[in-house]
Order: sequence, then C-alpha cells, then structure tokens
Amino acid sequence: MIEVDGLTLIYGRGGAAVPAVAGLSMKVDSYELVSVVGPSGCGKTTLLFALDGLLAPTAGRIRVHGEEVRSVRRDVALILQDAGLLPWKTVRANAELSLRIQGRKSSAGKVLADLGLAGFEKRFPSELSEGMKRRVGIARALALQPRVMLMDEPTANLDSITREHIQNLILGLWWEMGFTGVLVTHDMEEAVFLGKRILVLSARPARVVEVIDNPGMGEPGYRGTSEFVAQVAHLRQVLGGNGS
Amino acid sequence: MNRTLRLSMYYLLAIVLVLLVWAATSWLLEATRGREILPTPWVTFAAAAANFGTLASAFGSSALRFLIALAVAFLLGLPLGLAVGFESKLDRYLSPLIYLLYPMPPVALLLFLYLAFGLGEVVRLVVVVMALFFQVVVAAQGAAKYVVPSHVTAVRSAGATRGQIYRHVVLPATLPSVLTAARVSVGLGITMLYIAETKLGLLLGPRAGLGRFIEYYTFRGDISLAGVVGLALLGLLFYAALELLERFFCRWKFVGARGGA
Repeated sequence: MIEVDGLTLIYGRGGAAVPAVAGLSMKVDSYELVSVVGPSGCGKTTLLFALDGLLAPTAGRIRVHGEEVRSVRRDVALILQDAGLLPWKTVRANAELSLRIQGRKSSAGKVLADLGLAGFEKRFPSELSEGMKRRVGIARALALQPRVMLMDEPTANLDSITREHIQNLILGLWWEMGFTGVLVTHDMEEAVFLGKRILVLSARPARVVEVIDNPGMGEPGYRGTSEFVAQVAHLRQVLGGNGS
Repeated sequence: MNRTLRLSMYYLLAIVLVLLVWAATSWLLEATRGREILPTPWVTFAAAAANFGTLASAFGSSALRFLIALAVAFLLGLPLGLAVGFESKLDRYLSPLIYLLYPMPPVALLLFLYLAFGLGEVVRLVVVVMALFFQVVVAAQGAAKYVVPSHVTAVRSAGATRGQIYRHVVLPATLPSVLTAARVSVGLGITMLYIAETKLGLLLGPRAGLGRFIEYYTFRGDISLAGVVGLALLGLLFYAALELLERFFCRWKFVGARGGA
C-alpha cells in the first residue's frame, strides 16, 4: 500500500524555487495498479521519483506498507523511461544491476528467459531493438521481486505494435505477480488499459484533480470494448478541460 | 582476407611509404647540399644494429619511464577529473584552478623543477607526469560532466552508494573519452620525455633513455637517428597499447549498428 499525504516538492531555493508538486495526496491499495496522467511537465516523474525515495519531500509524507519513505527501499522497483540501460553492460549485467548493487547474489536468468530474452544475455543494449530494451528494463525491476513497481512511461517512443506488446506484458506480470503498481503515462489509452484507477494531475505544481474508477481494467479483450473507448473519451475530456 | 591480416598490410604499406619518403629526402638533401645531411634508412638501420645493445637498453629505460609516468598520471588524474566533472560543487571550486594550470607547459618550469627535485629520476618522471596528468584530468572532467542523468538514476533507484555510482556509471561512461585523450597525448608525452631525458639527464650515459641516447651521439648522425626511430616506435607502441586497452575495456563501443549509441 502506498499513502501520500500533502506531498509538496520544490526544486531549488529562493527566487529560483520551482514547485513541482503542491499538497498532493493519493492512495494506492495493495495489489492495485494505478495510472497517473497529467499535462506534460506537470511533475509526474517528480512524483514517481519521490515515491521511490530518490527525492525527499519538501513537505508532507509518503508511506509504503505503513513505513515512511526516507530513502530507496529494497522492495520498491522503478522502471525508467527509455529503460535506463547502461550501454557498457550486457543484457544480463543490466538485468542484474540492481541485484548486484544491493549485494544480492541471485540471477536474472529466469526473468530474462520469461521475457523472451534468452540467448541475448551477452548482447549490449545497442544491439537490441527498442522493444527488447524496454523488456530488459522490466527484467531489471522484476529481478528484485519487488512488492511495489513504479513505472515511468514504460512505452514512450515505441511503435504502436511494440507498445501494445509491452502493455500486455505489464498487465500479465501484474496478474501473475500481484505487485502494487503506479504507472505514469501520457498515453490516454495506456492509462485506461493499465489503471484500475486513473489519477488525473493538474498542470504544475501537480495536485490530483480527478480520480477515475476503471472497473473493467484487466478483463480479457478490454481494449476492444465500448467501455474502454468511452473511458478513453472521458479521460480525454477531463484532460482537455484541464488546460493541457 | 581477415581483419588482422588486412590491418597488418596497411601498417606494412605505411612503413614502406615512410622509408621511401625518408630515403628520398636524404638523397635530395645530399644532392642539393653536396654532403650527407640526413642518413638514409639503411645506414641508420646498420648503425642501430651495430649499437643494438645500447639502443635496446635506452629503449627499455624510456619505455619504463613513460609507462610509470602514464600510470601515475592516470592514478592521480582520473579520480580527480571524474570527481571534479561529476560533483558540481567541486567543479565550481576546482575547475578555474585546473584551467589556469592546464596550459602551463612544464618545460617552462624546468629550472624550478630541477631546483626542487635535483637531477635524479624523480624530476624526469615529474615532467612527463605533469604533461600527461592535465590531459587526463581535463578529459575525465569533460566526460564526467555529461554523464547521462538517467544512467545515474538507474543505479540510485537501486540504492547505490556514491562509490557504486562511480564504479557502475561514471567510470565506464567516461573511460572511452579518457583513453582516447590519453592516446592523443602520447605525442606530447613523448616530447616531454625527450626533453626530460636530455635537459635533465646531462650526467647519464646513452643507455639511460632514448633522449639521452640521441644527444650522446649528436655527432654520429646515423646512430642518433636510430634513436629518433626508437622514439617514434615507442610512441607507436603506447598508442597501440592504449587502443587495445580501449577495445578491451570499452567493448560496448565497438558493437551494434550505431556503434554503442
């Protein structure tokens, strides 16, 4: 469970201070997958970094499983936009990077195989397609066996077919592993496809302006249903009326 | 044809070309001036063969001196350059200092270096280290400044310590630029080595280094020139060694359709 209470994040000091998040409160239940949308530059990524413990709140508090987040937690994994792979490390070394940093000996071999990356372990990121790179990024997070998964636009800049593959993969993993997830995206269909609830943020500094319940999420063939289309249309309307 | 063989062919071709130009220059100078000025390649090689023992020890001494200087320059310059480039606070305080000292040629300070360190081995190393040190520092600093933020976030989000950030991100990200800069600096380093061995090696015999060898035989053009060839080979040796190191440590740069982008 993730609880955010009156979170405020301000970059810089004095006259150069830029408020990125102002008094934001939200709650994500255990095993719930929530998507977060908002105008670009509104502070979505900043919020995600704060949830991961990378940024200390200026005010307010963040709790994960009832414990206040003061630094990076071992049971929380972050999937970065563009996967954040290190070009000098092989696929396997990239997938095992977080494990090694935490001094854990376990291997990412099985996770890589599950994500269809068997046989590519010794390749470097520059030898992979964009979709494969994203899967390595996901493998890196999964290898930690996290209870909370934070995702920063995991399908940005992908072609539509690869994007749907990755979205299906994330949904499948969520079903299978039952993590608590927060997915930041600027893609409205993705927000509806992957969010049991959709949090709509305001322009910077970010606050939650609307929470959309999305009960159909996760049902087989959801993407093709009229309910899905209606939800996307509704979300578009909410975001449009919000100055984005 | 395999790659290594083709590469060796190109090198062989380059050597032949250099020898031809060298021989032509010798003949031309002799024809226009009426006396031998630049010894021909074969006269030089004959002199090298006749003094092989001395030349080989001089080469060995110079190579060892250069290797030590290069290693010291790396050991001191790499951590400093990386830290100054990566830590914005250090960058603010130390960069002006580095930029002030960087263009100052150690040759201009020979007198003070001599007074400070005497005429021993240390002073010769100091001159070469000073030249290479700043090259390494400036290259490492420049590269560390532009480390991709998402690479740092990737390791920080796993809970990386400062040391782990350097080990997994800053060092590997900057190594290619640093090694390339070091390779480019070999020429400067060899020049400084020559100066150190001649100006600060007056009391030494010809075996103490190629610079000293060249100066010791000033009045035997053919032997002296053999020393110059040795110096060129020394530069080539280090240039090639640094390139091999880059290929080994930065393998990722040499794979993939876009060369590791």
